[in-house]
Amino acid sequence: MADEGRLLGYSIVGFFVGIGLFIKGFSWFRLKRLIENMPTSKVRSLAMGLAEIHGEVVPAEKKVLKSPLTGRDCVYYRYKIEERRSSGKNNCWVIVKSGTEMVHFFLKDNTGSVLVDPKGANVDIPSDFTFNSGITKATPPTVESFLKSNSLTDRTLLGFNKQMRYTEHYIAPKDKLYILGSAGDNPFFEDATAQRNEQDIMMHRGGEGIYFISDSSENDVLKKLKLKVMGGFFGGGALIVVCLTIMLIYLKMF
Amino acid sequence: MALGLAIIILVVVILVVVGILGYFIGIYNGLVRLRNNIKKSWGNIDVLLKQRTDELPKLIASVKGYMKHEKGVLTEITNARSAIMKAKTMPEKAAADSQISAALKTLFAVAENYPQLKANENFMHLQQRISGIENELADRREFYNDSANQFNIRIESFPDMIVANVMKLTPKEMFKVSEEDKKDVKVEF
Repeated sequence: MADEGRLLGYSIVGFFVGIGLFIKGFSWFRLKRLIENMPTSKVRSLAMGLAEIHGEVVPAEKKVLKSPLTGRDCVYYRYKIEERRSSGKNNCWVIVKSGTEMVHFFLKDNTGSVLVDPKGANVDIPSDFTFNSGITKATPPTVESFLKSNSLTDRTLLGFNKQMRYTEHYIAPKDKLYILGSAGDNPFFEDATAQRNEQDIMMHRGGEGIYFISDSSENDVLKKLKLKVMGGFFGGGALIVVCLTIMLIYLKMF
Repeated sequence: MALGLAIIILVVVILVVVGILGYFIGIYNGLVRLRNNIKKSWGNIDVLLKQRTDELPKLIASVKGYMKHEKGVLTEITNARSAIMKAKTMPEKAAADSQISAALKTLFAVAENYPQLKANENFMHLQQRISGIENELADRREFYNDSANQFNIRIESFPDMIVANVMKLTPKEMFKVSEEDKKDVKVEF
């Protein structure tokens, strides 16, 4: 009876997750069409408004971050530290610390470079560092020092290594990026003093709310989005139907 | 059993209808955005054409004193400038733009024969500025043509063509550069 109740609970959650996925499928579809329809601009001739650019990351002067877990120079990072915790029969990963940090940087193509403010962007980059620590696997020194500086520990009370999972994503100088966002006025540059068009422009999240940064090529971005669209429409749809069927069986309507 | 099945069928039908409707709305919105992109990219070309046209009288004024024997080149630029100012349609503007680009290429090539002119700071600044605009114009023409090409492909592809036919969309013209403009400038000494 308890198992049946749990199954009903899961199917109710699954039903709403399915609806969410189905709706999300439309926004992925919209983004996919937008990327397909948007020609790539060259940096030197960027015009105000929604634009798509490709190029290499160049840090703005003295503006480089250190990624927390690996200590790499970067302009953007996000990380997550999770701990495996058990309660009775259940085991689950709990996030003990996470964070995101970013600074402005330049994106350079073969015609010029433009300032990019990554704030508010949907940054789609694979993890650059993942590490699982356990009883026989200690954490690397850079991670350990980060834990110490944040008053965290990777040891149990008995001195054993905890089961922890570390994930870090970052954008480093010279990384190749694809950006779809709004080209707007560069607030750090005085109007009418620009020698070149792109000096007076900054890529940012504009009023349209579309801001996407990826280190994949445009084709790879589109392939990923296609899978997401399919997953959203068909996966979400299937989840709705399956979960609904379980609920109806539970309610003895079958 | 029958009620449960009916609910499932109803939900499947709703999902399919919503999916198809959403898909076609997505296509419609995509085509509207593409059409507006073309208008915008044409507007962005126009801005640069205007900027370049505004720089031409300054350029002519700065070279007139030095290039007394090159009246032909200067007249060509003046005529092309008048043509672009009168042009209303895109093909007219494209033709006049090609004419100006070709005349400017000749002017800058001929200027190599006048060391005093090359030493003139004002001329060098204008040359740099106009060359910069020319490069930006080339990029924006390419962008315009990419947008128009994408639009033309979309409205002829299935299933977009169904929506395009309802919207009565017709193919957009490309910004054509004349064959003359693609050739290298020949300067006779």
